Amino acid sequence: MACRGGGGPGQFPSAVLSRVSPGSLSTYRTHTHNICMVSDFFYPNMGGVESHIYQLSQCLIERGHKVIIVTHAYGNRKGIRYLTNGLKVYYLPLKVMYNQSTATTLFHSLPLLRYIFVRERVTIIHSHSSFSAMAHDALFHAKTMGLQTVFTDHSLFGFADVSSVLTNKLLTVSLCDTNHIICVSYTSKENTVLRAALNPGIVSVIPNAVDPTDFTPDPFRRHDSIITVVVVSRLVYRKGTDLLSGIIPELCQKYPDLNFIIGGEGPKRIILEEVRERYQLHDRVRLLGALEHKDVRNVLVQGHIFLNTSLTEAFCMAIVEAASCGLQVVSTRVGGIPEVLPENLIILCEPSVKSLCEGLEKAISQLKSGALPAPEDIHNIVKTFYTWRNVAERTEKVYDRVAGEAVLPMDRRLDRLISHCGPVTGYIFALLAVVNFLFLVFLRWVTPDSVIDIAIDATGPDGAWTPRYPPSKKEGKNNAMSKTR
Amino acid sequence: MGTQPVADTEEAKWQKVLYERQPFPDNYVDRRFLEELRKNIHARKYQYWAVVFESSVVIQQLCSVCVFVVIWWYMDEGLLAPQWLFGTGLASSLIGYVLFDLIDGGEGRKKSGRTRWADLKSALVFITFTYGFSPVLKTLTESVSTDTIYAMSVFMLLGHLIFFDYGANAAIVSSTLSLNMAIFASVCLASRLPRSLHAFIMVTFAIQIFALWPMLQKKLKACTPRSYVGVTLLFAFSALGGLLSISAVGAVLFALLLVSISCLCPFYLTRLQLFKENIHGPWDEAEIKEDLSRFLS
Repeated sequence: MACRGGGGPGQFPSAVLSRVSPGSLSTYRTHTHNICMVSDFFYPNMGGVESHIYQLSQCLIERGHKVIIVTHAYGNRKGIRYLTNGLKVYYLPLKVMYNQSTATTLFHSLPLLRYIFVRERVTIIHSHSSFSAMAHDALFHAKTMGLQTVFTDHSLFGFADVSSVLTNKLLTVSLCDTNHIICVSYTSKENTVLRAALNPGIVSVIPNAVDPTDFTPDPFRRHDSIITVVVVSRLVYRKGTDLLSGIIPELCQKYPDLNFIIGGEGPKRIILEEVRERYQLHDRVRLLGALEHKDVRNVLVQGHIFLNTSLTEAFCMAIVEAASCGLQVVSTRVGGIPEVLPENLIILCEPSVKSLCEGLEKAISQLKSGALPAPEDIHNIVKTFYTWRNVAERTEKVYDRVAGEAVLPMDRRLDRLISHCGPVTGYIFALLAVVNFLFLVFLRWVTPDSVIDIAIDATGPDGAWTPRYPPSKKEGKNNAMSKTR
Repeated sequence: MGTQPVADTEEAKWQKVLYERQPFPDNYVDRRFLEELRKNIHARKYQYWAVVFESSVVIQQLCSVCVFVVIWWYMDEGLLAPQWLFGTGLASSLIGYVLFDLIDGGEGRKKSGRTRWADLKSALVFITFTYGFSPVLKTLTESVSTDTIYAMSVFMLLGHLIFFDYGANAAIVSSTLSLNMAIFASVCLASRLPRSLHAFIMVTFAIQIFALWPMLQKKLKACTPRSYVGVTLLFAFSALGGLLSISAVGAVLFALLLVSISCLCPFYLTRLQLFKENIHGPWDEAEIKEDLSRFLS
């Protein structure tokens, strides 16, 4: 189970342990961190990065750390909000430019971010997603202010076209003095190391996770007289919707008992509708449109086979969610997908209609012959693979490691920028770093750090929301713990 | 997982999988790291002389523009009688027309299914209309100052060179736009000529050199590369000669331009090829190689 909701005291032993007096069980945790997650992408926006940040934060809070999230304002949602367990979210009034990413001038966000970092006594900045301008801004400012930085990359990029050459250069600059980088799969690590010219030793691989309690099988929801293939993805080119439009007629003609359920919305929906129209498949291909995250499970459990046609994918949560619901997964062999599930749970195909049809036919014949394991069995295997607790534990190790490192002083940082990012870009960004530093000095002169109010912690060791137990109960618990040890 | 490498499982082999907890730290770098990296798998190796041969398309187009301007200058100065130009143009068009069918043995014509009668009709329609409208063309831009006309012509001819279809598959290529710009330039320049007959012949000549001549060149290049090289050389020298008769400095500069495009640029390109480092790997976005339109047709 993931770290949402209160949960009984027995359900989070680590959090209980971290709260006891330092003397008794101090070996468990040396110290806690004040972590600030920064990304343009957060709730109410929905997606992989958003839920990653939320779930990771919840688990880190459970482990006794102080966590705050900084994102930009979403419409009416601005200012400070508190989520479950006192997770504090700053919605900053920054202009959104494109695809929910803020515009960046590299400087304009410094006053606000500095204020937050100071009043929250942040020690580690953890930025998410290379598409987020705010995340890169925060990294830049954090280094100017001498804070430790961690960056999580959630996506893959190519190297071939002009736009990726430019974004890769910017990533090189942004990550050139970041303490540690986290990638979600080994393929993603290779990609990031190449894109940003990094030392692979400072890149950790920590996969995404899914909440297995949210994705449980329900074999009674599906009709076993027919075979149902489920597809849940945004209907865009990168998700391979074009391939899907070739697979549907091909297989529907071959298997009269085959149905498709397609969840998701996007610009490529029109071609699926055209295919459905042309081959008269209205009763066999259901297009559900956009799904809310909570409805995904109810769609998944209606199917026998899950089909993923993505053309590029760093991790692919969708196939883990589907496998957790007990479906046989058929997927393209792209990006990090081969690393995600063991061979007996996934059928990997080349990204072509022919290969995917063969994969689906293999799954269908296995299903008909009864060779597939029961959904409950698949669920029980998959639920041990990826848990947010595990992710948080491994991320914590990264934080512990980073906290012991020294932040480069200004002169070394400039040297590193110049030597690492190439002569032209290096000098430009070194200049910008100097300007940023002067701006910071100016801000410190206008409002010294000592003048800034220190915020009351919502989470962390002395958090206002951290549940406290009456001394007698705590002691009793302590004794019980020491006995069990 | 776990940050401390475990010593007693030395035989434990690292696997590139995420679902298993492995006795390696998260930032472990295996020997297999980046083993799937491939370089320059789609890169083409260019041969110097092949590139020189391909550059002749650009040479041809530059020369076309040069010849056009030289002819206009001669007309403007009154050194070239319009009847003479019309006669030569008509004769060479006819030769070109016959050649066009001869080169590929009439295959292109069979494929397009276009009859000679249709060709004749469109030629007649075009000539009649241009002739009929030539007084209008002549006076169309009369009120515009000559400097503006020259500037516009220069920009239009440059645009013609930029957007011309040299065979590259790029977004900037637009043969329609390119041809339109050239014709626009010819209309501009024609209006500075003494009489409407001059204007008519100038525009006809522009059509011949900017629309018909590249079509013949393309066919020549595809079917008889040897004679194409000869034609290109001949054309280039005649353009140079024409320019030389007007301005020696211009001719020298133009010759330098031609040499650098046909010899230096290919040399530079083949040299730069050595530095090409195109990285491919499992992170690349997969390409859909099949034709999926058949499902919708």
